[in-house]
Amino acid sequence: MASRSSAPMPPGCGRAARRFAEVVCPPEIRAGDRAGRLLKELGLMLGSLPPAARRVLAGTLLTVDQGARLYPAARGRRLARLDDRVAQACLGSLLARRDPAAGLVKRLKSVVVMCYYELPEVQREIGYHPDPFIAAVSRRRLERHGAEIRAAEAGRAGPGAPGPRRP
Amino acid sequence: MTVPRGLFTGADVGTGLRLECGAVVVGSGAGGATVAAELAAAGVDVIILEEGGYHPTASFTARTGRALRTLYRDGGGGMAIGRPSVLFAEGRCVGGSTVVNGGMSWRTPDRVLADWARREGLTAAGPADMAPYFDRAEAALSVAEQDPETIGRDSELLVAGARARGWAVVPDRRNQLHCAGTNNCSSGCPTGAKRSMLVTSVPRALAAGARLYADTRADRVIRDGGAAAGVTGHVVRPGGRPGPRLTVRARLVIVAGGAIQTPALLRRSGLRGPALGRNLSLHPNAVVTAFFDQDVTGWQGVHQAFQIREFAADGLLLTATNLTPPMLAGMLPVHGRALGALMADYNRIVTAGPLVTDTGTGWVVSVPGAGPQVLYRLAGQDAARVVRGVELTADALFAAGARRLLLPFDGAPQVRDPAELRQLLARPVPRHALQLYSVHLMGTARRSEDPRRGVVDSFGAVHGVPRLFVTDASTFPGPTGLNPMETVIALALRDAGRLIADRARYGI
Repeated sequence: MASRSSAPMPPGCGRAARRFAEVVCPPEIRAGDRAGRLLKELGLMLGSLPPAARRVLAGTLLTVDQGARLYPAARGRRLARLDDRVAQACLGSLLARRDPAAGLVKRLKSVVVMCYYELPEVQREIGYHPDPFIAAVSRRRLERHGAEIRAAEAGRAGPGAPGPRRP
Repeated sequence: MTVPRGLFTGADVGTGLRLECGAVVVGSGAGGATVAAELAAAGVDVIILEEGGYHPTASFTARTGRALRTLYRDGGGGMAIGRPSVLFAEGRCVGGSTVVNGGMSWRTPDRVLADWARREGLTAAGPADMAPYFDRAEAALSVAEQDPETIGRDSELLVAGARARGWAVVPDRRNQLHCAGTNNCSSGCPTGAKRSMLVTSVPRALAAGARLYADTRADRVIRDGGAAAGVTGHVVRPGGRPGPRLTVRARLVIVAGGAIQTPALLRRSGLRGPALGRNLSLHPNAVVTAFFDQDVTGWQGVHQAFQIREFAADGLLLTATNLTPPMLAGMLPVHGRALGALMADYNRIVTAGPLVTDTGTGWVVSVPGAGPQVLYRLAGQDAARVVRGVELTADALFAAGARRLLLPFDGAPQVRDPAELRQLLARPVPRHALQLYSVHLMGTARRSEDPRRGVVDSFGAVHGVPRLFVTDASTFPGPTGLNPMETVIALALRDAGRLIADRARYGI
């Protein structure tokens, strides 16, 4: 079935994206291969966007990376080459602005940190482990209301059995 | 994956298709699936075109990113551009937004129906006229209050705060059959308890003989001599690539793509008019993030269980709705170590806020190469309502024991008590500093008997284009002030009833 989720990270963005993620995510992003897996998630997320939005966010990423050269303390270096302190200060100054360009950087930051908090071990660390909960309450639902649910399902016009494909 | 009889995905379509039917329905959400099921049950040969994919209940998990990529348009990252811009999300899958909404099922308030009927000259659309359709919708979708054991601590805390203030609170009515309270509504209900179109009207339509083409985008309405005569479209391949073309010739065309896509499709089809794409309402809402000393684990319990109705007459509803870690992290106005510190308290957080009945409007424009874009102007009085709603939400959360709050205003510091809140709000909050979200998009092809004011008539017929109908939230003459799904379904039932009554005229 169609989905827009198969596009990889745009070419040339990998290093800039990794550094951007290291700055906007909590320091624990450096544990294990979290950054690498975040980038995979980010590639999938960008791939789900329409091409124009994908281009804008990828362009924003590259502009932030190269634009860091203009930040005084960066002394002409791109974001990917800045140490943590200067990179944090540089990005912090960008995110504090209220112009449309800063809005794009904030949106990019949102997407990147969403990808970070999608990582299962990060979710476990903050106490979010929904799968066992979903399984437990789903069982409880069937134990308490199974008969009524089955009766309702049986009374509903269903889609029928899988049939021959006839496009 | 088992695919129901009559449902075809993009993988099933290798070459171009030419199909014929009585009625082609564009969209399988609340409006499209409902009208399709009604027509099919009456014996009409129906084809449904759905741009999104088919994702059955068994495929739904708690993975937010996966849900955003597969069930939502544009990864859930729509934006109505303005000052401030408003982030919005729409479903794009078989079942449409009903698959990812919170399942709140409310009848359109009588005063709203009466106002719509009076203002737009609508016939047979008053409260008494609509009541039978609401009755039918609620019976079909098992609309009821939650079982008590499914209500989460976050909802209980907000209600406790509201009751401490003496405010009126109502339990939510939701389309659910003994909802388990998984808090997974926005990623698809993993039990099927939420009675979305995916598990109700879509299977009903298919069982009655309808055909549904998923992964198929409608490009244009075909017109013969001015009347609608079908739809052209194409299969959407993985990655968004266009696949084979598809042409459906039909005696009736019913568009139900939602408030953004419907006017865009009509425009692509050559329709023009002063109201087309205008009058967008979106119920802006804002999120207050409250930190408690105690564990809340807001993800354990139903998505939303109550609404504070004390200020409904002022256009304000207050609710608590838990956000998954990715959604919350993406919204918080911090980064790096500070983000980690806030998120470490995830299980002690309640997210709540106001939903505002907006008076300002937006519009949908088509930008070559970028598709439909949404522009929105937040009215001054609506901005004031948002700020008041945030203040009231904050009051309730402090009354419930919150220790500190993050407010949805750019650059606002955390507030730790009501005095700090008053101090912060003593200075006007700039409109552009509001952080706003929406999942209720309405009104861009509104119903009116006056073609200068509306796009469709009282029963969804497009003015000036025979055999072309619209039935979705785009036809609302204004905001409902409440969750709009049941209004869409009731209007679709009513529109379908009219089409069936007139079937001889249409030859279906």
